Amino acid sequence: MLGPNGAGKSTTLRMIATLMQPDQGTIEVCGLDTQKEGEKVRGKLGYLSTDMNVYERFTPRELLRLFGEFQGVDATIAERRGLYLLEKLQLMDFSDVKMDGLSSGQKQKVSIARALLHDPKVVIFDEPTTGLDVLTAKTVLDLLRVMKSEGRTVIVSTHVMPLVDEICDRVGIIFDGELYGDAPPREILARYSVRTLDEVFFQLAAGGVR
Amino acid sequence: MKGVGLIFKKEWMEFSKDRRTMFFTFVIPLILFPAIFTMMTKMAQGDSNRRRGQASRIVLNDPGEVVKPFLLGDAKAFQLVEAPSGDLKQALRDKKFDLAVDVEAGAPGKLQRQEPFAVKATVDESESGSELALKRLKEAMKKQDQIWVQARLEAIKAPKDLPKPSNLVTEKASDLALELSKMLGMFVPYILLIGLYTNAMQHGVYMTAGEKERHTMLSLLSTAIPRSHVIWGKLLATFSIGVMGTVMNVVGMSLGFTILGHQVAGSEASLAGAAAAPSLSFSSLASPTTLGLTLLLLIPLGLFFSSIILVLGTQAKNSREAMTAITPGIFVVVMLGVFSTAPGLEKMAALPYVPVLNVALTIRKLFSHEFVAWQYILAFVMTSGLAAAMAWLSTSILNRESAIFRQ
Repeated sequence: MLGPNGAGKSTTLRMIATLMQPDQGTIEVCGLDTQKEGEKVRGKLGYLSTDMNVYERFTPRELLRLFGEFQGVDATIAERRGLYLLEKLQLMDFSDVKMDGLSSGQKQKVSIARALLHDPKVVIFDEPTTGLDVLTAKTVLDLLRVMKSEGRTVIVSTHVMPLVDEICDRVGIIFDGELYGDAPPREILARYSVRTLDEVFFQLAAGGVR
Repeated sequence: MKGVGLIFKKEWMEFSKDRRTMFFTFVIPLILFPAIFTMMTKMAQGDSNRRRGQASRIVLNDPGEVVKPFLLGDAKAFQLVEAPSGDLKQALRDKKFDLAVDVEAGAPGKLQRQEPFAVKATVDESESGSELALKRLKEAMKKQDQIWVQARLEAIKAPKDLPKPSNLVTEKASDLALELSKMLGMFVPYILLIGLYTNAMQHGVYMTAGEKERHTMLSLLSTAIPRSHVIWGKLLATFSIGVMGTVMNVVGMSLGFTILGHQVAGSEASLAGAAAAPSLSFSSLASPTTLGLTLLLLIPLGLFFSSIILVLGTQAKNSREAMTAITPGIFVVVMLGVFSTAPGLEKMAALPYVPVLNVALTIRKLFSHEFVAWQYILAFVMTSGLAAAMAWLSTSILNRESAIFRQ
């Protein structure tokens, strides 16, 4: 999901995550109506945005255990999956450290683990690499690739165009509240007769062909 | 309702990790109130003993020297000082002496003729030293009057009890425990109202507006737990922490009163010359039934206050905005609390129908051993209804996008 600031990317993602209600139309996640079956939808969905933070008084392990319970995951499974995610995100050494002692990148990783703990079929990441250093961003991107390879639906909003080129199967561009594209990246590039997605952006901003 | 329990558990886990806040909420009241009461009693007793040990300084104008001999005869009670120049009342207010006594010039003649003579005392009632001097003068005059009357009776060979046809004997229906219990009953509603509101305020704001401010609320709302369960879990956590904190305040205060009672009883016993002070325990101030019924009333009152806090906290975008909205409520609650300590409150016919104040009234009556069942039930039901309405309102606010995503 691409688009300039204020285009409506986060609002769209929040509507999919049942945090907001659409004014009109319907949204379905795994065949479930987000407005009628919000709780079931949230059970199948992992959501992470830049305006989410972790509970700083807890350790990563405690937080994951708690959110496992919130998502209805069996305690043993939640523990095992939590440890797997912490290892994958290189956080094992900090699993029992209070989160107010972790760096912002480490907290972001814990948030990612929190969003993935219940093994969701659909993952929504709203600007997952914003504010992260290069190494942490790479870890997050690697995880996105893993999730994609596992067959999950991953919806990402981002301003990082190389990331889109590299891992996205489909791209949706939101501009002034309208959706343009919703097609594989190469198709979009061909439609606008440009070589990079940045150029598509510039064309749209200049009021060119939409 | 599993979600409610999980949110409740999460809030308590978070609270328990803040040891300092826990200490100030639960432990400090148990230390603070007994310490304050002990200190206040010691200071008051120390001041009273110091004054009792000192002679009152009086300016005496007694040209016929009728009063002077017996006043000077009690050197421990009175000390004559020179009349200061200028305004006598101003000098009294300036504490240059404690009491001015004027005896009329014709006093010796009137005494001889068995006519009453006038003694005028000028006192500063705003000063305890001046009041004590007046009290001592009255006692000395009364004693001397008796001596003069007895002399007159002897002169006419009349019986000693002639001027005293009756002898009034008073017997106390209430004991010290009931008096202190009534006093405690005046303060308990005040402490409960303020304690429940302020405790709920701190923790309720932390759990609502604070979560938004710390950007953790969204992660909670993105789980499978329904929003109504989120709010109910938070409501129960705010309520339970608030009630426990308030109960600790009341227990601390009761301990303080018990200490006060022991000291008062001890000083009364020593004044009466008794060998030991009467025993005064915590249970003699408030019976288990009184405590149980009071605690039961705290449930709807605590839920009501917690719901108000959650409504305002959920609506606010951050803690500062929430506190700004909630603070005027403190003044309302303090005013209600002060009103609830007013003497004669229990005689107001409309009070059982006034929300919140009817809880204060009921608790006061419980501590005064004047339980009225219908008033108790009315207060309980009315406050429960208000709590339910507020809880519903806070849930509907949390369902509003404008409340969740306000920037």
